Amino acid sequence: MNIPLNIDWQQILLHLLNFVILAGGLYFLLYKPVKNFMNKRTSYYEAMDAEAKAKVTSAQKLEEEYKTRLTNAEEEIREKKASAVKEAEKAADAVIAEAKAKGNKIISDAQTAAKQEKDKILQDANAEIEAMVSSAIDKVLVSAKENSFDDFLDSVQEE
Amino acid sequence: MSKRKRGILLAIWIVLIVALLVASLLVGTQSEGRESIQETMRDAVLHDSNKISLFGLIDVNPALISAVLVTVALLVFAACVRIFAIPKFKMVPGKFQMLIEQLVGFFDGLAKGNSPHRNGFLGAYIFGAGVYIFTSTLFELLGIQSTTTEGLPITLPAPLSDINAAIALGCLSYLIILSGGIVGNGLRGVGKTLKDFSLPISMSFRLFGAMLSGLLVTELVYYYVNLSFVLPVAVDVMFTLLHALIQTYVLTLLTALFYGEVSEPHKKKEIKKKAHA
Repeated sequence: MNIPLNIDWQQILLHLLNFVILAGGLYFLLYKPVKNFMNKRTSYYEAMDAEAKAKVTSAQKLEEEYKTRLTNAEEEIREKKASAVKEAEKAADAVIAEAKAKGNKIISDAQTAAKQEKDKILQDANAEIEAMVSSAIDKVLVSAKENSFDDFLDSVQEE
Repeated sequence: MSKRKRGILLAIWIVLIVALLVASLLVGTQSEGRESIQETMRDAVLHDSNKISLFGLIDVNPALISAVLVTVALLVFAACVRIFAIPKFKMVPGKFQMLIEQLVGFFDGLAKGNSPHRNGFLGAYIFGAGVYIFTSTLFELLGIQSTTTEGLPITLPAPLSDINAAIALGCLSYLIILSGGIVGNGLRGVGKTLKDFSLPISMSFRLFGAMLSGLLVTELVYYYVNLSFVLPVAVDVMFTLLHALIQTYVLTLLTALFYGEVSEPHKKKEIKKKAHA
């Protein structure tokens, strides 16, 4: 059959054969290795990106954790501060009470000592008075040897 | 280089150009024993008179010899790249690596963009086809000479300016689209592909027409010696580059587009199920 435009089946098939060889060769020699390399690079950068993202996520988690810890620590510090204040107040109260007790004791001791001193002074004074009285009596007795009895009586009477 | 030396060189160059131009105009053309413009144009379209022997086995159109030469050149280049360049590829690419990656990435992206469901094989095919169309179109710029079986000299044309090559590529593209339809949708895919039965013809003849028009213009220009100075720089290089790029893009885009269309999974059942629900 005479096909117009000089179309020739043999030539078409030869062109097809030529192209199939070329396409196959280009695929194995150029397209596939280059694409593999590009895919490898893409996956490398994707892995890098994922790793960076994971690091950012873990850093964010750590940040949150530290923030929580910080908040807890502040709370803890506040609690400890309050308890310390309480304990200090308690200790101060105890010290004050002790001081008061000591003060009271000192006062009572002082009072006792003062009383004792007073008693002693009184006793001494009494003793001194007694001594003075007895010496006065002695003096009187000596000066009024003659009418001592009368004088004595007079003096007693006067007294 | 001193100014004086540069001036002398420039003067020699201009004198050489003028001398050659004058000589070529004075000598004129020897039309006897040459093909007429009609014969040249007719042969450029039909390839019925000038044949070249393929390894002494059969006589073939000159375009087939061009195709074989292009294939050999491309395969040698690809092998060199595979052996010497690819093992030295770096994570941060250099200029050559960037060029190769852009080339592969362009066709891969074209396949993925137009056929999101199935694109592995399509990418490889349009890469091969694109590189072949582009390189074989630029091949005509080289103007490689050969001898016909009748002993006449002939400039090897672009492979795709032969209608047989265009038909081969157009039909193969259609078969690839058909295979995508079968793999993606089975019988429905075959139906979808056969619906566009005019596709192989349109693809083949579009390619052939585009390549042939470029060839005819250059044949026309080169036929007259007087026009073969300066003018080919604009006509040949610019036009050839332009239609090489355009035809590469058109055929690969159309193939990817139709492949994507026929290999797209059918969703009718899901819609029905949703409607029932």
